[in-house]
Amino acid sequence: MPTPYLVIDGLTKVYERGQVHALRGLSFSIEKGEFLVVIGLSGSGKSTLLRCINRLIEPTEGKIWLDGTDVTRLSAKRMRRVRRRIGMIFQQFNLVDRATTVRNVLTGRLGYIPGWRSLLGLFSSQDKQTALANLERVGLRDKAYARVDELSGGQRQRVGIARALMQKPEILLADEPVSALDPATSHSIMQYLEQMNRQDGVTVIASLHFLSLARRYGTRIIALKDGQLVFDGPPKTIDNAKFKEIYGEDAEEVEVR
Amino acid sequence: MSPTPGGAGAPRDRLKVLSRRAFSFLLDWMAWGYVAYCVMYLLNYYWYTVHVDWWGTLTLPSWGWPVVILATLELAVWCRSLGRSLGQRAIGVALRPVAGERISVGRRVLRGFLWHLSVPLAPVWIARGEEPLHDRLTQVGLRTETPDPERPGRRAILTQWGFVSLFLGALTMCVGWLIIGINLQVLIRRAPQAGRIWGEMLRPDFRYFTAPDPVFHLRALSYSILDLTVVTVFMALVATVLGGVMAFPLSFLGARNVMGFSPAGWATYGVIRGFFNVFRSIETIIWASIFAIWVGYGTVLAGILALTIHTIAALGKLYSEQVEGVSPGPLEAVWAAGGSRIQVVRHAVIPQVLPSFWAFTLYRWDINVRMATVIALVGGGGIGDMLFYYKNQGDWSKVGAVVMVIVAVVWAMDYISGRLRERIA
Repeated sequence: MPTPYLVIDGLTKVYERGQVHALRGLSFSIEKGEFLVVIGLSGSGKSTLLRCINRLIEPTEGKIWLDGTDVTRLSAKRMRRVRRRIGMIFQQFNLVDRATTVRNVLTGRLGYIPGWRSLLGLFSSQDKQTALANLERVGLRDKAYARVDELSGGQRQRVGIARALMQKPEILLADEPVSALDPATSHSIMQYLEQMNRQDGVTVIASLHFLSLARRYGTRIIALKDGQLVFDGPPKTIDNAKFKEIYGEDAEEVEVR
Repeated sequence: MSPTPGGAGAPRDRLKVLSRRAFSFLLDWMAWGYVAYCVMYLLNYYWYTVHVDWWGTLTLPSWGWPVVILATLELAVWCRSLGRSLGQRAIGVALRPVAGERISVGRRVLRGFLWHLSVPLAPVWIARGEEPLHDRLTQVGLRTETPDPERPGRRAILTQWGFVSLFLGALTMCVGWLIIGINLQVLIRRAPQAGRIWGEMLRPDFRYFTAPDPVFHLRALSYSILDLTVVTVFMALVATVLGGVMAFPLSFLGARNVMGFSPAGWATYGVIRGFFNVFRSIETIIWASIFAIWVGYGTVLAGILALTIHTIAALGKLYSEQVEGVSPGPLEAVWAAGGSRIQVVRHAVIPQVLPSFWAFTLYRWDINVRMATVIALVGGGGIGDMLFYYKNQGDWSKVGAVVMVIVAVVWAMDYISGRLRERIA
């Protein structure tokens, strides 16, 4: 039997000298090509989970197997190699506001470029072509030389997607990609992620706040509460009772259309 | 994310609370010590200058100072027990009963006496993990004060703490005035002499603005005011460029968010920051007097070296504070894309800080021009050489001319660099 693409085994993260447990022995696995949505309240450990996968946050305990390699045991140098295959987009977009759009997109390529050349800021013309093509793909070709602080929130997140595309990722981690955006823009961003998932076969792990978005785009949903798995299954199987269990008794479902 | 009950950090937290208490106690002790010092000074002043030989000497005998120190310690202890403590107030705590509303005066006095027993026994109750003995026996404790939203506070100045601050401030002013011992009457008395100098300076002699002054020479060469002005501006420029170029790489080594990942990183950070702070606190004029002896009195090189050293430290500190203030998001993005530390700095930090680096550098050039006009006083070269030469000759009309040129140059630099900084920001 082939092993799953990504296996999380007993993942635990403790912050602040043992005071805060963000993740408590989390275990699950994902097959290649899935669109996994992680839901849960703020502080339930969603961001920590995503950042443990590419080790932006160092896990306290547990193992993470990506395509057969245990990423928790890699040296810093080999971890950088693995990170090239893992794209990431962020809630606050994490772009350099003062730089141009195309500059920001090109930083997605840094993992592939030797140190001395990137130090001079020299990107190959091929990389530049790819950057422009990726901007074309997210509909921002005409904004390539505009500064990022001139763009709207939705446009910024599309720049973030183009930057992740530069890595030609196998897997994409999306940390609340639409939390800072309005509902209409949210759908457009989610559709780009869906397109990456279906057309390029990129495995997507996205944390979301709205259950309606999770149902619409996810092929599978997991829910976290206090760092533990409280639900794992296809979107349809989350009913009202499950919803209350995840979000608490007083929660009311909000629809994003 | 819920805190674990009990918690492994509890003893550590208790020590933290105790050290805060010790700090607030020290504040009280120091406040009373300060009052005692001021009172002693005032008494001394009174007896020595007003009532000479009335009571002989007020100098304390050898056992006097320990007595004063112990007396202020006692004052601090009793104030803290009786509930009027600046130190407790400063860390936002107050003495409160464990149960009930008020603490009787008797219990407060008892606590004051028990304090003397409790402090020598501190190792015992700390080791046992108990509350301080004097608190436990009188059933009180220091609790964090939260303002009552129902009862808005009076205006700060009208509270008893306002009066205490006002009293300390007034005392400081009185004693300070006596300590520096200045006499403002000379300003009036010697006004005629000053008037002559002002008059000459306001009739400036621009004869040697472009033509070299045959009387003034440096190493057998004569210079005009304009010559030395140009030299001064370029001294400042060279020092700023050299200093900026050297401060640039150092500033990343002195930034916590770039270095603080490993013990070696922390060590580098500490060394670099220490270097910045020490070298910055030694003023340019002191550096100039050192370099004047090293490379030659009155040479331009001495001035440039002095300005450069101070510029490295000053710009380095400003730069690294900018680096520490960058938004962490882009850094995270470059790490996530598989970037190395050097790539994070190059592609996430530098684009964020470069505009403010330029602004600070321009500002520094402006400062360096101003500094360069005076370092000649200690042998740093530049226009100051001329200024101090004419001053020593008593040729105030020429001094006036040089000063006016300096004012014009500094004003122009200030204006230009201000406009450029506006454009950048």
